[in-house]
Amino acid sequence: MRSLRYQDKETPVHKLNPFSKLAWIGSVLILALILDNPLFLLALFLLVLPIIKVAGIWKEWLSTMKFSLFMCLAIILINALVSSRGSHILFEAPFRIPVMGIPVITLEAILYGVAMSLRLLVIISVFAVLTFTIHPDDMMLAMIKMKLPYKSVLVISLSTRFIPTLVDDTQRITDIQRSRGLELDGGGLAHRIKSRSSIVIALLSNSLDRAVQVAEAMESRAFGIGRGRTFYKDIKFTITDITTVVFALLPGVLGIVMGIYGYGQYQYYPTFERISLNGPEWYLLALMTSLLFAILPLAYIKRRVNLD
Amino acid sequence: MAPVFKPSPLDILSNWGLVSAILVGLAIIAFFAEFEGKRVSSKEIALVGMLGTVSAVLRIPFAAMPSVQPCTALIICSGYVFGPLVGFMVGAITALVSNFFLGQGPWTLYQMFAWGMAGVTAAYLRRFNLDRRGLIAFGIFWGYAFGAIMNMWFWASFIYPLTLKTFIVAQLNSVWFDTAHAVGNAILLGVLGNKTIAILERFRKRFQWQITTQCFI
Repeated sequence: MRSLRYQDKETPVHKLNPFSKLAWIGSVLILALILDNPLFLLALFLLVLPIIKVAGIWKEWLSTMKFSLFMCLAIILINALVSSRGSHILFEAPFRIPVMGIPVITLEAILYGVAMSLRLLVIISVFAVLTFTIHPDDMMLAMIKMKLPYKSVLVISLSTRFIPTLVDDTQRITDIQRSRGLELDGGGLAHRIKSRSSIVIALLSNSLDRAVQVAEAMESRAFGIGRGRTFYKDIKFTITDITTVVFALLPGVLGIVMGIYGYGQYQYYPTFERISLNGPEWYLLALMTSLLFAILPLAYIKRRVNLD
Repeated sequence: MAPVFKPSPLDILSNWGLVSAILVGLAIIAFFAEFEGKRVSSKEIALVGMLGTVSAVLRIPFAAMPSVQPCTALIICSGYVFGPLVGFMVGAITALVSNFFLGQGPWTLYQMFAWGMAGVTAAYLRRFNLDRRGLIAFGIFWGYAFGAIMNMWFWASFIYPLTLKTFIVAQLNSVWFDTAHAVGNAILLGVLGNKTIAILERFRKRFQWQITTQCFI
């Protein structure tokens, strides 16, 4: 749990304004969900990679990829096994399964599975950018600044802030219970769950006391008095930031427009088309690529500006 | 499946993965709006936040046992004691916050919904005055229901065609994990359920965790 979390790094991507990153991530998500054409999905996937490389989160990304590969395998297998709508039959089983019918594997189903895996990989990679380059506190601050309801954001940020404290508590309670002779390893599932239950109860009652302290602290700081809030840490907006946010939002808008006009779509069933793009789609692909890629030079410019 | 109709701008709505994400998102927003609309004191905010943290952190000592999710049991207990709204908030916060550390993804939305609903439904258990066995049965039910909600996302986004047949296959895909989740819930609720509920009950009585009539916000 500890290895796979945000870590402070001095890369241009980490130094970007959280709003720029959120807008960029949102744009990639919209594009990945709207576009069907495998070439577009591949382009999106290849576009996320340089960001991951520059952000220096290659290792973290690889570990999330390992886990996603199992999901990709499931996507390809299930699609191949259940979908019998394609016309290029590769394999037909000589037997019948009740409910399912005769299993047929078609080329179309495999192609669809591969394309959907690509979509999944894009989504998971872009979420990796979110998890590993935006500090949870900055996320909260961004949510407050976006005028999301304050109480909900406060609950979430309170909870996020106490995670490390409670992790330490858990560690301490575990050590104490171990020193009192609690056997944590070995035994069956039931035994292992039972042995951990003493930790759960101690952690729960300890944390409820903490909740009282937090409530008292909030009361004593006049929580809910209702005047305008001030911020200890602020997100500054410079010209570069505004440019970056605009550039990051544009690909998402482009994606919606393309979806409405039917560009970037692809027909998998019943017979797959040749994987290619028609005239305007080449320009759209180029436009999408350059808009999405613009965040990198902008990140370097922002860092240069900050240094000056 | 030759295209019978001309392509129209509304075709974008036949993207079921997107549609299901929007619907689940709206459901979550509705609950958050409900929480926002209530007059909530600092006590409730602290309690909801802290219970969410505990249940998120509980994933650590159990990390060695994949798909045993102790948070489900705690969410059920909190919903049972503090009512549907707190139950939902604790469930949703558990998913959102623990994923800051375990990795956010499209699944976050569905986990928020699934665990939130576990908390909401647990509040209605109270009416039936269930004993320990009922609680265990409820835990087993949510072990599978949680898996079913998570598979729904997988099914709607990545499988074609969307028929009953493919739905069943997608559900069978995770049946082992769901069984482990259900068994874990049953053991946890069996061993800890009554004790946890007693602790939370005592806490509620001690501090009167109710929506107060005073206006704080």
